[in-house]
Amino acid sequence: MSQITPDTNSTSLLHTEDMVLNVGPQHPSTHGVLRLVLHMDGEFITKVQPHMGYLHTGFEKTMENRTYQQNMTYAPRTDYLHSFGHELAYVLSVEKLVGAEVPERAEMVRVILHELGRIHSHLVFVGTGLLDLGALTLLFYAFREKETVQDLFEAVCGYRMNQGYFRVGGLSRDIPADWPQQVRSFVQDFELKVDEYQAMFLKNPIFLERTKGVGLLSAEQALDMGITGPNLRASGIALDHRKANPYSGYQKFRFEVPTTKNGDTYDRFWVRLEEMRQSARIIQQALDLLQPGPVKDPSRKISLPPREELETSMEAVIHHFKLVTEGFHPPLGEVYVPVESARGEVGYYIISDGGSMPYRVKIRAPSFINLQSLETAGINGQFADLIAVLASIDPVLGDVDR
Amino acid sequence: MDALSRLSELGLQPSPNSTGLQQLDIAVEHWLERAGQLKAAGWYLFDVIGLDYLHYPVPQAERFVVSYNLYHLADNVRVFVRVALADGQAVTSVYSVWKAANYLEREVYDLLGITFSNHPDLRKILTPEDLEGYPLRKDFDLGETPTRFNEGRYLDPAAFRAGLSGQQAGLTGWRGGERTSGGSGQTASVPPTLDTFVANVKKEKGNL
Repeated sequence: MSQITPDTNSTSLLHTEDMVLNVGPQHPSTHGVLRLVLHMDGEFITKVQPHMGYLHTGFEKTMENRTYQQNMTYAPRTDYLHSFGHELAYVLSVEKLVGAEVPERAEMVRVILHELGRIHSHLVFVGTGLLDLGALTLLFYAFREKETVQDLFEAVCGYRMNQGYFRVGGLSRDIPADWPQQVRSFVQDFELKVDEYQAMFLKNPIFLERTKGVGLLSAEQALDMGITGPNLRASGIALDHRKANPYSGYQKFRFEVPTTKNGDTYDRFWVRLEEMRQSARIIQQALDLLQPGPVKDPSRKISLPPREELETSMEAVIHHFKLVTEGFHPPLGEVYVPVESARGEVGYYIISDGGSMPYRVKIRAPSFINLQSLETAGINGQFADLIAVLASIDPVLGDVDR
Repeated sequence: MDALSRLSELGLQPSPNSTGLQQLDIAVEHWLERAGQLKAAGWYLFDVIGLDYLHYPVPQAERFVVSYNLYHLADNVRVFVRVALADGQAVTSVYSVWKAANYLEREVYDLLGITFSNHPDLRKILTPEDLEGYPLRKDFDLGETPTRFNEGRYLDPAAFRAGLSGQQAGLTGWRGGERTSGGSGQTASVPPTLDTFVANVKKEKGNL
């Protein structure tokens, strides 16, 4: 025990030693396996040190030792709440490297799934985020819609999570005939659902008390720390790669980028709820643009031949064999295509050495970088505030640790 | 391309690579000073990428490159600043310029063993405390075991993949786009048995 010396500078009469408090790694409010070491002065937090890596499985190293197609298994597992964000970032990078051409129908289906994934992720965010604040009710409403979204994922590719549905050059298969109608019936009254969520908590005095002015992050601080996505937009910077650097046909859609000025926990909740409305808008426009057509690059050097051709064409069998055993060989080069996921900028920096496996894959994981803001936004409040701030930053620990 | 062309005022000339990424080489001794100038010009640090070119087919000046992903908000342009480093050479941390460098540089240090001098808190971040070595270095083994078949035959995963990567002719003799070996007249190479493999590994690395 160190000797307690009277703090002559302090105005408070009672001075206590700092206490070190360990939160996690298994703690419901960390939404995964994250350990926080807190330095507390009484009830107030003076320092937050996140310790991550509990889920680190070396995705980047593994991806260097798998073919480009096999890596479609790893991309969605990085961020399991918005899998399609990572899938899209990965395939767009590889497509640029090999020069694949994506048919318009595939692009539109990708946009629909990308936005449904964003809704899925934000629904989990708002449900569990409010659960951390002690508001139990909304979880059930949010998960009702989340289940519907997952049903739509299941209908299209058979998986509710970690889909791996995109392919370099398009999609693994075409969507079911009635799927656009199912999506439309989900999104056309989705805005009413968002209204319902907002009515449930946005004016609640307890919610306001716990989120307004809590976990402040100024625009300059956020940019300095490399924060992207809804967290940055809540701090007043309208950076959205769907608008700034349109990919996969986003330039065709009309939507707004919700932005707020205060950069507190309340704003981070609000921005995500508004983003869900915009996602529903984009999906409706993409459904209108959805035309029948191919969903794969016709090049046999990139996408698998159709199953029926294997019965009659020897060439198709050879292509099939080559693609399955080795895959395609992109030319030498380095590529990076950023995508706006539910958490911020996702990008795969891929280096090709001319082989069928990437020489190096570097994932720009937005959760990892966004988590840096906890050291700034999480301090000077009480412990309960930290839980609210952590929920509002919305890290996915798979994305943090990779 | 305003912010990119304005880089020439600082004496910097970015050039696009084969996929259109704007890249900029900066010598390691000038990096901190340049980083300050870039920050003043409105560039923000979005990512730090550690690259190991040990086995890359195109020879590079140095083994390592630390590539800084910088984004200009007003003009929506991106530039990758590449700082080349020899094995064991340290680069100055840019934490004093951009706070984002904190975790990002720690990650590169953890996975590639590149030291960032003047970093306030250079500790491991993702791998366990007791892990030795730097996993993303090209000479870090994956630690797989060979797949066994009967009569002592086995499949060495690394050799199998080397065939697929196009660097060597693998099981199918395919080198990525062109066939180099004719089918006839070439004797099929018989893979060594597991016993000889284990003996070779023991000879190289001592007793396992």
